[in-house]
Amino acid sequence: MEKEKLEGLIIDYIDGRLSEEEKASLEKELANNADAYQLYEQTREVMQAMDRSAKLEPSFKLKKNFDQILKEEIAQQKPTKVVSMYPTLYRAAAAVFLVLSGVAIGYWINKNQQREAEMLALQQQMQEMREIMISKLGNQESASQRMIAVSQVMEMEKPDDEIVKVLVKTMNEDVNTNVRMAALDALSKFHQDPLVRRELIKSLAKQKDPVVQIALIQLMVQMKEKGVVNDLQKIVDDNKSMKAVKDEAYTGLLRLS
Amino acid sequence: MTDEQIMEAVKTGDLQQASMLFDRYHKRLFNFLARMAMDRELAEDLTQNVFLRMIKYRNSYREGAKFQSWIYQVARNVFSDHYQTIKNRKSDFVDVEKIGDRMAESDETSMMDEQERLLHRSMALLSEEQRELLVLTRYQQMKYEEVATIMDTTVANIKVKVHRAIAKLREHYFELEKI
Repeated sequence: MEKEKLEGLIIDYIDGRLSEEEKASLEKELANNADAYQLYEQTREVMQAMDRSAKLEPSFKLKKNFDQILKEEIAQQKPTKVVSMYPTLYRAAAAVFLVLSGVAIGYWINKNQQREAEMLALQQQMQEMREIMISKLGNQESASQRMIAVSQVMEMEKPDDEIVKVLVKTMNEDVNTNVRMAALDALSKFHQDPLVRRELIKSLAKQKDPVVQIALIQLMVQMKEKGVVNDLQKIVDDNKSMKAVKDEAYTGLLRLS
Repeated sequence: MTDEQIMEAVKTGDLQQASMLFDRYHKRLFNFLARMAMDRELAEDLTQNVFLRMIKYRNSYREGAKFQSWIYQVARNVFSDHYQTIKNRKSDFVDVEKIGDRMAESDETSMMDEQERLLHRSMALLSEEQRELLVLTRYQQMKYEEVATIMDTTVANIKVKVHRAIAKLREHYFELEKI
């Protein structure tokens, strides 16, 4: 019998899924074929090991944190809840508002209303995303939350100044290297932006994390930013710099000057 | 109250009910994520995110859908999003040597027998999909039908894949045993 088929039958046999007929035929095979019997023994051992494997217990922190999150969500929800209890009224109000604002926009601007409304929605969406992102970045308990927030910025076409500031702060001060690197990645995507460029240059002088330092130097070279030559020289001359960082700074110097 | 009724209530704004779903599911989801990530601390963080998404995206729960399938789909997304984000940055995706340390609490370490240790290490050598199939069908004792719903595929497909995953696990297990 082909091995894959035999293994399938053995697994179903152990799980008690075979028909009487299949069972009898497999048992015969196991009795007559030593290799098949060994396969059966081994398969049974790993399957039993998995079935017996102990259940893991989460710490109390999980429940505590969840209760906290739930409390916050409920608190946030309060003002909108009243509205959502009257969906028809809400829809009617929304319709009236839309019509009125449509008329108003049409009246005042005398341009394409739809484009205006779209822009408003877009701005609102940006605003919401921004708030969620900034609150996530502030979540000191969870590095993965901060990571997700940073990756959301990457999806933006162009971040505003406030987001840039929060990202810079994250890049310079976050306790987790992965998060700092992610923030740098996000910023490097927008390095054409003068503010981002200035902040990246400033960070080079301040940055203490070697991993981030190296990535920053590489980025400066890529950006052909000659303004950092002095900072690079300082890193090369500084006895406290790590060798790998010094090497990278030196390479950077050669390529920029 | 069924899970589905509770989730409907959550969806219509009765957020307090979410804690009942947390009580019913957090251990299962934590075990799923811990076995997938092979890291307890991270698994707690991810479990937290699953429930956060459950609340935030409550409107995406479709009326009539089985809650268990839905919440496991959320958990799978949380897990894969996490690794998408840190992909390329973390070279030791799963460091086989350290699994014992990350999985066991200190007082349990001694109780973890040789067989279980071997099992953990063999699981770490499987592909993510194979590990997931075994965690769901064996560790969590889910029916093939349920797993097929969660993974959005057919029962026959799940069955073939589970069989292959067990075969692969067996190979790794007895190879590692020889060392």
